[in-house]
Amino acid sequence: MKPATATAGIATGTAASDLGRVLAQRERRFAAALLAPAFMALLATTTFPLLFLIGTSAFRMDLAMPFADGFVGLENYRTLLTDDRFWSSLLVSLVYTGATVVLQVALGLALALLVMDMKRGQGWFRVVAILPVVLSPAVVGMIWRTFMLAPEFGIVDYLAINAGLGSKNWLGDPLLAMISVIVIHTWQWTPFAFMVLLASLASLPEDIYEAARLDRASAWQRFRRITLPLLRPAIVMVVIMRTMVALTAFAAIFTVTGGGPGTATEILNLYAYRKSFTELSIGYGSALAVALLIVTLLISGVLFALRRAK
Amino acid sequence: MTGRGQVRFEDIVKMHGEFSALKGVSFDIEPGEFFALLGPSGSGKSTTLRILAGLDAPTSGRVFIDGRDITATDARDRDIAMVFQSYALYPHMSVYENIAFPLEMAKLPVAEIDVAVKDAARKVKIEHLLDRKPGQLSGGQQQRCALARAIVRKARLFLLDEPLSNLDAKLRMETRAELKKLQRSLGVTAVYVTHDQEEAMTLADRMAVFMAGEIQQVGRPAEIFAKPNSIDVAAFIGSPPMNLLPARLADGDVIIAGHRLKTAMQAAGERDVVVGIRPGALRIAPDGLKARVELIEDLGDTKVLDLDCAGTAMRIRVGDESVPPEGAVISIAARPQDIHLFDPATRRRL
Repeated sequence: MKPATATAGIATGTAASDLGRVLAQRERRFAAALLAPAFMALLATTTFPLLFLIGTSAFRMDLAMPFADGFVGLENYRTLLTDDRFWSSLLVSLVYTGATVVLQVALGLALALLVMDMKRGQGWFRVVAILPVVLSPAVVGMIWRTFMLAPEFGIVDYLAINAGLGSKNWLGDPLLAMISVIVIHTWQWTPFAFMVLLASLASLPEDIYEAARLDRASAWQRFRRITLPLLRPAIVMVVIMRTMVALTAFAAIFTVTGGGPGTATEILNLYAYRKSFTELSIGYGSALAVALLIVTLLISGVLFALRRAK
Repeated sequence: MTGRGQVRFEDIVKMHGEFSALKGVSFDIEPGEFFALLGPSGSGKSTTLRILAGLDAPTSGRVFIDGRDITATDARDRDIAMVFQSYALYPHMSVYENIAFPLEMAKLPVAEIDVAVKDAARKVKIEHLLDRKPGQLSGGQQQRCALARAIVRKARLFLLDEPLSNLDAKLRMETRAELKKLQRSLGVTAVYVTHDQEEAMTLADRMAVFMAGEIQQVGRPAEIFAKPNSIDVAAFIGSPPMNLLPARLADGDVIIAGHRLKTAMQAAGERDVVVGIRPGALRIAPDGLKARVELIEDLGDTKVLDLDCAGTAMRIRVGDESVPPEGAVISIAARPQDIHLFDPATRRRL
C-alpha cells in the first residue's frame, strides 16, 4: 500500500510542477505584452536613432554638396583623428567636465556641511538652493550673458570694476570665457550635489560622532576618517552623474558663447553640432557624436569600476 | 589607582528650554567604583552621563574629575571612554580598525597599537572577528567590539549607557557577569546607566536612583533595597515591586483593613501612613491579614500570588511549601522590621 501512495504522491507532484510551469509561462507572456509598447517606444526613440547615427557616420553626407554623398566606411574617423579642432574640442570638453565636477562636489560638500550645522532656516536654504537646478540651462545662459557678464552693466563686471580690477571682456577673452562657462555650469548644478550630499550627511548617525569625540578625534580627523568614507558612495554617485551630464552639456555654452571666442569654449558636443547643422556635414558630424559617445562610455566605465573598487 | 577616576557632581542643573531635565544633581563616585545610575526612562540618568562625558553642557553646576573642574573641558580632553547603547561602531571600519581608532587618535606607534588591540580583543573574546565589519557581527559581538574599543585606551573613566539593553535575555545575563569581572580586573571606575534595577543591583558597588530629574537615593544596592527612602524608590526597586497600601498608624501599629500589624516604629498618636511590605517578606500565617488568592504566577523555584486584600491588590512570594489554590482565603503577616512606613504627603520614609 505504501509504495503505491508514494508513487501517487510523486505523480501529483509532477503534475503540480507542470501546471506551475504553464502558469509561469503564461504570466511571462502577459508581462511581455504589457511591456511591449514601452519597449517599442524606447527602441524607436533611443536605440534606432543611435544605430542610425552610427550608420550615418560611415557615409559622406554633405547637404551643401549632395552630389558627393556616398558610403566612405571609416574615412570620417580617419579624418577625425587628424583633425586638430576635434582634439582641441575634446580637450575643452575634458577641462570643462573635470573643472565643473570637482567644483560642484567640493562646493556642494562644503555647503552641505555648513547647512548641517545650521540650527534654523535649513528648509529655506534648501528651497533657495534648488532654484538654479529647475531653470533651463538655456535660460541660465541668457541670464549670465545679459545680467551677470555684460560689460559695464553686468553684475559681475560691475563688481570687478568696483573691486579695482577694471572692466573685463568676460566672454570675449578665451581664458575668461572658459572660466565663465565653467562658473555658470557650476553655479547651476552645485545645488544638485549639495542636496544629494546633504541628504547623505543627514542620514549619518549622530552617535558615531560622539564616539569619535570621546575617542579624541579632532574636527578634521572626524571629517577625514568618518564623514568622507561614509559619504564616499554618495560622492562617487554625484561624480558619475555630473560627469555624464557635463560631457554632453550644450545649451548653456551655446547661448553664452556659442563655443567662442573662436573655439575657446567649443566642447566636443558643440563641435559636432556646428559640423552637422552649421556646416551641414552630417556624416562627419555623426562621427564626432559617436566619438563623444565612446569617450563618455569610457569615462563612466572607469568611474563605475572605481565605485566597485572598494 | 590612587585618586584616578574620582567623580564629583555639584548641583548640576540641565534645562531643555522650559523643561528641566536635571534639577540640581549632586553625588560623588570613588576611584575604582562600579557606580550605577538607575531610573525609569526620562528620569535624567542618561543626561547625567552625557554631561559627565562632555557631550552635553550643564545649564549650571560643576563637574569634577580627580579634583579638577572639567565643566568647561571638551569631551576630547576628558580622558573618558564610553560604550553607547547603540554601540556607535564606525560602520566603514573593521573591528580591528574600530578598536585601534582611539589609539591612532592618540598617535601611538603602530606596533604598540597592534599589541593593545589584540589584547583588548582577547579580553572580550572577539580576537577571531578582527577582520569583520560591524555590519557582519551579531548584536552581542558588536557589543563586545564597543567594549574593546572603550577598554583599549585605559581611560580613567569608563561610561556605559545601557550597554546590555539591546541583547536578548540570556546573553544579557552572561555579559552582565563578564562585565563585572572585566571591570574588577581592570580596576577602572565605571559609571553605568540602566533602567533595569536587577542589572544595577547585581553590578553596582553603589548606585543613585533617579526620578524626574532628581536623585532620590544614593547607596549600596542592598542598602537601598532594605531601606528605600521614598515611596517612589520603594516602588521601583525589587521584582515583583513592593506592596504599597494606605493605612492608619496608631501607637506603633498599623491598621490595614481592620487588622493590626506590629511595626518597629515607636510612636504615640495616630496618623495616616503608606505601608510598604516586600512580597518576599510576607508569609502565610494562621493569624493575620485576610486576603483572597486571585492568581498564582509560577516562576519555577518560587510562586507569586496575586491577592485581593479588602479591595487592595497585593503580592506575596512563596516557596514550594503548601500553596493555597486560587480563590482560597488566606491570612498573611510580616515581621515588624519588614514593614516600611512612608508619609503619604511628602512620600518620604518615616
